[in-house]
Amino acid sequence: MDVQGRDLSETVWTRLDRKAGAVIELTIRQLRHKISTWVVLALGTMLMILLLAFYIDSVREGFESIDNDGDSVDQDRDGYPLGQERKYGTSDWNGEEYPGSGTYIYEGEIDWNDENREISGNKTWEGVSLLDATWIDIDYKGGQWDYVIDWDDVADCPDTRGELFVDWIPDFASACELEDGTYATNGKFNAEGNITVPRDYYLTYGYVTGIFDVPKDPKEMYIDEDDIDWDGSAGSQGVDDDGDCLRTDWFAQLDGSDEYMWWEEPHRPDANGNGIQCDVIWVINSQTGEVISISADSSVDEDPVDENYAGEASHRTFVIATGKIAFVLLLGLFLPLFLSLGLVRDETERGTLHYLLSKPIHRGEFILYRVLGYMGVVSVFVLALSLVMGLITSIIGPGESLLRVGDLPVWFGIAIATILVLAAYGSLFNTVGLLLPKYGVYLCIVIGVWEFAMGFTTLISPSSSIATLSVSHWGLQLIDSIVMVSWPDTLQFSQMSSAFGLQTGLEWIWSPPVHTLNSSNAYLGILTSVIMLMGVSLSMIGIGSAVFSKREIM
Amino acid sequence: MTAKAPAVMIESASKWYGEVIGLNDVSLAIDGGVTGVLGPNGAGKSTLFKLLLGRLKPSQGTVRLFGTDPWESTSPFRRVGYVSETEPLYEWMTGLDFLMTMARLHGMTRDEARERAEHVLEFVGLSDVRYKEVGKYSKGMRQRVKIAHALVHDPDLIILDEPLHGCDPLARTSIMSVIRELGNRGKTVIVSSHILEEIERITEQIVILNNGRLLALGNLHAIRGLLDKHPHRILLETESPRDLAKELITRKPIYGVRFPEEGFLEIQTGDLSAAHEILPSAIIESGIRVTAVENPDDNLDSLLGYLVGGE
Repeated sequence: MDVQGRDLSETVWTRLDRKAGAVIELTIRQLRHKISTWVVLALGTMLMILLLAFYIDSVREGFESIDNDGDSVDQDRDGYPLGQERKYGTSDWNGEEYPGSGTYIYEGEIDWNDENREISGNKTWEGVSLLDATWIDIDYKGGQWDYVIDWDDVADCPDTRGELFVDWIPDFASACELEDGTYATNGKFNAEGNITVPRDYYLTYGYVTGIFDVPKDPKEMYIDEDDIDWDGSAGSQGVDDDGDCLRTDWFAQLDGSDEYMWWEEPHRPDANGNGIQCDVIWVINSQTGEVISISADSSVDEDPVDENYAGEASHRTFVIATGKIAFVLLLGLFLPLFLSLGLVRDETERGTLHYLLSKPIHRGEFILYRVLGYMGVVSVFVLALSLVMGLITSIIGPGESLLRVGDLPVWFGIAIATILVLAAYGSLFNTVGLLLPKYGVYLCIVIGVWEFAMGFTTLISPSSSIATLSVSHWGLQLIDSIVMVSWPDTLQFSQMSSAFGLQTGLEWIWSPPVHTLNSSNAYLGILTSVIMLMGVSLSMIGIGSAVFSKREIM
Repeated sequence: MTAKAPAVMIESASKWYGEVIGLNDVSLAIDGGVTGVLGPNGAGKSTLFKLLLGRLKPSQGTVRLFGTDPWESTSPFRRVGYVSETEPLYEWMTGLDFLMTMARLHGMTRDEARERAEHVLEFVGLSDVRYKEVGKYSKGMRQRVKIAHALVHDPDLIILDEPLHGCDPLARTSIMSVIRELGNRGKTVIVSSHILEEIERITEQIVILNNGRLLALGNLHAIRGLLDKHPHRILLETESPRDLAKELITRKPIYGVRFPEEGFLEIQTGDLSAAHEILPSAIIESGIRVTAVENPDDNLDSLLGYLVGGE
């Protein structure tokens, strides 16, 4: 009896296996012979091709370096980019003024109401004055817009016009010689000597840099020239790589008068006010390692290497958005709507159900095997699709290596999340199809709309509690968790995107998993999501089996 | 215990769908041989089969297949083959494919399934079309492949619901011989039909259902014998019915004549067999030409009419 009993149980189990295999295989073959299967699979594939085209056309293009601080432009087309003109203190609005062109640098002035109205030295002067010169630079040409005095055309001052500087002054850009050998000037000139500024008149002075040959910097030098320098720890970070905050190696220092032209950024080397010039303060939660805030002095880390940041972040945004919207929300809902709703119902309608029910297979098992058969079809499809998407985007995505190996776990995770979602919807829709053979499809559409709404609610507000009543919420959170495990620095990318103004969409499409049993641990996020999704699948199969087992079939 | 239990055991089983009665207090035991289940459409044949196949739960009474309740357990189905009345098949499968799939649903390995499928296809005479898609089969071939699917796991009980329905005479003959052969091999076969003549050619053991009730159970000839002793009509087609009537009215078991329409003579008798015995010689003696002889009462309706106790 014992021996017989054991033999029997072995036979029962192996036979059960074979029957399961037969039902699953039949289901797969039936789905393969349905046109709607191929239509929905083809639509899914087309969606992915479109996304890839978009990726290649737009996202990949976007990896080209962006001049985040805008100093690579050359407005006056003199061949020197703005960054280089700033360094030399020349204007990027004046094509005749460029590094090495001999620019007038302001030093000081004698105002209308200044008491002391005498000054001497070898300078470049501009204004109305009485010049007692020891040397005059008669070759000085000045800039395009300067009223430079032409010393070749200096006449004696007329004595017929009344008192000099009271009744008259020399014409603009001219000078005249007085009887004592001094000059009355009105305009710009280069000279050494004593200068007296008449009351109520105005003179500025400075010097002109020597004319020398400055090689033109290529535009590219001013793109991505100040990368984000962060070692991952909190506190004062950041290096002013291009020196435009510290202004080291600058040929022209501003006068420090804190006066700026309307187009200039105020130079605030300690904008964050921590007493350290040209740094970035990173505030980090010591427990979670999460970046809480980033505040930078001006012109520090302001032009990061886009390949490293925007490129990487955009790539991740694309992968995560594809996983969440295309895989989980679209494929996740539409595949089961077309493939699982009729798993048992169609068989009843077509009148072939009795071939399956007159077999020694329990009806509950039968439901399970049907769902498994459907899962076989959609799993292979989703795995293949995600593998192809993963390979293509890993090859053409940003980065030094030939293949972004680190992407593959994310794509695999997306496939697993989608498969779990497909299982949940598949068993849900199949059960609805069983309960309401006629109107189930309408209920499924209502469920689909709800799931879409909750999916987008989850995207917009991941911690929304109403969304936890949906399958899509858990599918999306599963992707969030997998991303956090596979790309642990995504959170930093997301925060850097917002801190340094890199527009990548990463902070919109991804956020750390919410339901981690208050641990912020991504693995617990995976665990809760998987349990929820599997729970929905199993309970739906359970309900479907229970209903179907006790149903009389006419 | 289970091994000795009869293939089919029904005790006071009733099934009603709301107000409508499908089966009313039927008790029945069938084991071995071919049994015909006769009854007009709506008599309860399909309800009976659905109870046997565990698709319906009896409202009252018990149904047992090999001693097990088919509603509770699917285990008896490994010994049961069922040919449904419904037409659909998996049209895209080849005959062999279909049978192999069905065999594997019984837990056979692929190799076993292939061997059994080839075997039963041979048995029902479809070997040469086994690689053809079922969708391209003729009506008779479809019916036979359905029978083959019910035999693929070598069941002890085979239930066929209207297997001859809609088949051409050739297909009918071959299906009938298949069924008879199964009976000869010691299987329990249950065949339903609403045509008496069909059942008569297959088996003598019958169950008659009407309006959900079990009317008769037993040997068809015995039941017919009862019927023969009952007033019965024979319809003769002849050019001169009145002359023929004169010749026949005096003969022993004939007690009445009628002229239902031009060119027809209806004679009434109390003993159908005796009447048929004397008819040929009487007609020859009369020298009147008779083109057809029909037994309008020799059908299920009149049998039922008699059994119910009407005319």
